[in-house]
Amino acid sequence: MHIPDAFMPIWQGAIYWIIALVFIMLALRWAKNQLTEEKIPVVAVLAAAVFALMSFNLPVSMGTSGHLIGGALVAIVLGSPFAAVFILTLVLIVQGVLFGDGGITTMGANIINMGVIGGFVGYYSFHGFMRVTKNISFSAGPAAWLACFIPAEVCAVEMYFAGTFPLREGLIAMGLYHALIGIIEAVITVLVIHLILRVRPDLIDEKVRQLQAKGVNG
Amino acid sequence: MIEELFQIEKHAYKDSCIHRLDARVKILLAFAAIIAIVAVPYSNMVYTVGGIFFAFFIVLWALTRLSPRIYLQRLIEIVPLWGIVIFFQIFLKNKYYVDYHVVMTLPFGIAIYAESIQFAFILLVKFIVSISFIILLSSTTKVQDMLEGGVRLGLPADFALILGMMIRYLFVFGYIYRKVNESLATRCFNAFDRRLPWKYRMRQLGYTLGTMFIRAYEQGERVYTSMLCRGYGRSSFLYIKKKPLCRGDIAFLCASLAFVIVIPVTIWLTAIRFF
Repeated sequence: MHIPDAFMPIWQGAIYWIIALVFIMLALRWAKNQLTEEKIPVVAVLAAAVFALMSFNLPVSMGTSGHLIGGALVAIVLGSPFAAVFILTLVLIVQGVLFGDGGITTMGANIINMGVIGGFVGYYSFHGFMRVTKNISFSAGPAAWLACFIPAEVCAVEMYFAGTFPLREGLIAMGLYHALIGIIEAVITVLVIHLILRVRPDLIDEKVRQLQAKGVNG
Repeated sequence: MIEELFQIEKHAYKDSCIHRLDARVKILLAFAAIIAIVAVPYSNMVYTVGGIFFAFFIVLWALTRLSPRIYLQRLIEIVPLWGIVIFFQIFLKNKYYVDYHVVMTLPFGIAIYAESIQFAFILLVKFIVSISFIILLSSTTKVQDMLEGGVRLGLPADFALILGMMIRYLFVFGYIYRKVNESLATRCFNAFDRRLPWKYRMRQLGYTLGTMFIRAYEQGERVYTSMLCRGYGRSSFLYIKKKPLCRGDIAFLCASLAFVIVIPVTIWLTAIRFF
């Protein structure tokens, strides 16, 4: 899903950069207002950990592998979609500048896809599902799946607008692959949230803890 | 990817005239070259501009005194995934051409078009040139220098503070990642081993990643405590000493930026005049 340079005309990359910058500014404002003094190093170290988590190859199916994106996980655990925007922006900068994974001119689009859409879809769909299912597993799982699947489809649409991949084929290819990766993302997200709730419940967002305290657990 | 980190940093610690350049110069040059090659329209012009840029890159790489094998290894690690997308272009039509000429017809109505092959090559040239300049930047600049260069170029202080801490802990998590993988291997656990039930593999991986997440959080708390001992507070800010560019850096930057801008513009003007 990391669109590299060359796959998008420069003017489109600039538009995505402008949109991404708006969200980065909002995420910075969130960080300034919401991050308490002790949370700043924690978020920085978490960003490094998310980078490491993304390095684990996870078996998908038919010999293919994928890796965690983590937008939904970060947003749910830290209790804000802006946390995902913030952390994934840091991760994408390091991936793009150090490893060439994702381009410089396309970084705006990548931040929008994985950080903004992934974070917002993950966070709000989790809380939406929670209202309906009253179950953390049944909410975090589908939320993580959507946070993987929807950005992939948006990525296919962006590639179509860029003229570097046809829409139908792009939607099918990206959709199928990320629908499978999304299952892994969902399973891992649920397991990680359960582990945190069991071992260090104080680390997780208060809203999730309250739901667990009410006995709403999966 | 995280395993490459140590290797990349090792290369960045070597010495050459390119290594000694100020990080700002290398960041600006890499970004300018990438923007310039991406800005060239999807046309045959890309071959000429890309060829000249790549020749420029080869000269710079030769000056780094790093082996070409290092460059090729890094390139091979990056190219495959998007290489497949580029390869598939030969079967697809896109909005940049009006007429398509079939070169070869395959079963199931699949055709290879001359224009699509050309477009695939254009993408490949742009992609390789862009990646090459990123490889040059990261192989010759220490991560910390890159961060300082970024701050001196105007990266917001709040962002730089957290990015700096993140970078410092990337290496810690690189080691943790390695250790976790080693211990999984010691227990003969392979996430891709189909003899193990899928549910079991997922549970193991989920808890491994979850443990890493918790360890990161706890590490962050310890970092905070130790930072407090060293005078850290909400009001503290990142201070980076002002460092004016030396004459050599300025000369190199001006010459390379002029090169990167003038070449595509000249080729574009020549193409306009020709048509």
